[in-house]
Amino acid sequence: METPQAHPTPTTTPPAETVITIDSGSPPPNPSTRIRRTQYPTIDGPFGVSEQDSVEYARRFFTFGFLLLPFLWALNCFYFWPVLRHSRYYSHSQPQLRRYVIGSAIGFTVFATVLSTWAFTFAFGGERVIGPVWEDLVMYNVADKWGLSGFI
Amino acid sequence: MDQNPRNQQQKTILDTLGEEIVRIITPVSICMFLVVILVSILQNDSDSTGPSISTIATLAYDENISDTLWDKFKGALLNSLVFVAVVTVVTFFLVLLFYLRCTKFLKYYMGFSSFLVLCFMGGEIAVLLAQDLDFPVDCVTFMFVLVNFSVVGVLAVFMSKFAILVTQGYLVVIGVLVSYWFTLLPEWTTWVLLVAMALYDLAAVLLPVGPLRILVELAISRDEDIPALVYEARPIEPESSGNGGHGVMQRRVWRERRGEDSTSGDGATRALNMGSEMKSDESFHGQPKSIGGSNLGSGSGSSSTQSVVGQRDRSLVDAEEGRAIDPDSELAAPLIQHRINVRMNSHDGPDEAFALEGIGLATSGAIKLGLGDFIFYSVLVGRAAMYDFMAVYACYLAIIAGLGVTLMLLAFYQKALPALPFSVMLGVLFYLFTRLLLEEFVVQCSINLLMF
Repeated sequence: METPQAHPTPTTTPPAETVITIDSGSPPPNPSTRIRRTQYPTIDGPFGVSEQDSVEYARRFFTFGFLLLPFLWALNCFYFWPVLRHSRYYSHSQPQLRRYVIGSAIGFTVFATVLSTWAFTFAFGGERVIGPVWEDLVMYNVADKWGLSGFI
Repeated sequence: MDQNPRNQQQKTILDTLGEEIVRIITPVSICMFLVVILVSILQNDSDSTGPSISTIATLAYDENISDTLWDKFKGALLNSLVFVAVVTVVTFFLVLLFYLRCTKFLKYYMGFSSFLVLCFMGGEIAVLLAQDLDFPVDCVTFMFVLVNFSVVGVLAVFMSKFAILVTQGYLVVIGVLVSYWFTLLPEWTTWVLLVAMALYDLAAVLLPVGPLRILVELAISRDEDIPALVYEARPIEPESSGNGGHGVMQRRVWRERRGEDSTSGDGATRALNMGSEMKSDESFHGQPKSIGGSNLGSGSGSSSTQSVVGQRDRSLVDAEEGRAIDPDSELAAPLIQHRINVRMNSHDGPDEAFALEGIGLATSGAIKLGLGDFIFYSVLVGRAAMYDFMAVYACYLAIIAGLGVTLMLLAFYQKALPALPFSVMLGVLFYLFTRLLLEEFVVQCSINLLMF
């Protein structure tokens, strides 16, 4: 195992590397060196996308989430969790990335609120709140009507 | 300073090995657990045969409760033979496609299959659960969540760079769904089918004429990924994360045999390739497609310094890597400095190409296990769950033991190995013993207050 001191790091560092003293993401902190800890924007650490690609990645997820796929937004937030955690650091170094991730977070929160409000009203309110159309909307009746639960 | 790295290295090997084994046994256990739960919740109270579905596995013979034992056995045998034959044919077809470099087609096919499994099978099982548990979900929410779930699942198996946890989760979910489907087959057919698939696996991977072996060798010679669904345990993080210029680690599911560079003989990282089991579903109308055999690729025991560079990240090859390849510095090179490329995930497809059944090690030493293995292990345990929980425990232990033996052999032979035979044989044996012998013993002991 080489310690970083043995490496000629600075000049050969690819642009993807950022050097700060906090270690986030999954790589375990290396106690023997305080010199360089790389900060990965993704939750996978060294196995995630590189920093250059991550902007593109986040952007694509963000735009596709508008196709009624809030789950993509949630995934965006999950994947780029270090960005949200250290958002101050990223607002300096990668403001674009941070914007997309925060946009995804906001979008997902809004959507989740709307959907869960509706779902809980439906589940707990039941017929009292929604009226006779409840019977037509509930899934198991729909499945029976259309024979969806006969196995494929 | 030279001693230090090596000591650290040795500690790392021990740590990482145990960690890696745990990382592969955990998802297998989770998959089995979920299938057992599903089976227990959704089981018909009437009998163990459940709803009879006409599938390719029951083409030759549809089991009836009223048939005699011998008839059932013969019917089951016939069914399994038909199934294995179909699987062989489709696997050969897939090998042919791979040979003709139709990887795009395979990839899309797999994406499509994944979507079918997740959306339709997942939807049906969710509907069944909602019905059984009287869960008042409305169809709008349900459809919405289901479509979201499936689309993200397809992306997870498609794309190369994706959250590892999410990809692994989706592969486990796909395994659970297909396993549940398999447990709906008639009982005798299921057991004989399991044994037949184990034998097929053995043949397909180890015989030189086996389709999976051909596939693995093709992939190795071309240095490509096999388009199939493979579960790859999360690779161990590099110790030297502090090294500048590491760039991004790529994960490669297939670790080719970079044969000759193994100068350093670093046996700690075993480059093993996975076998593949292509599982294909013909249509989502419950006709199981063929299941390929499992195939474990084998790489050479090349040292960790072999770097597999993807096209995109060639630019990230830095001085260190250059140094690592330099034979002089191999011993000093970090233990785990791999470039792995996750192109496999992008290829794998759903039903169809249920990864290779097979077990291998990726470049980084992370263990890979084909999704077909997950499925058949879970089918075995699910079937046991339809009888009794004691059988479940026994079969679970048998399967884990079989998996352990396979891993040991993997380390020993450093080749592609079929992961099914040991586990399935032990599992079936334990099931029979439990059902015929153990249960009687335990029940009598409990009744007579001898042992609880």
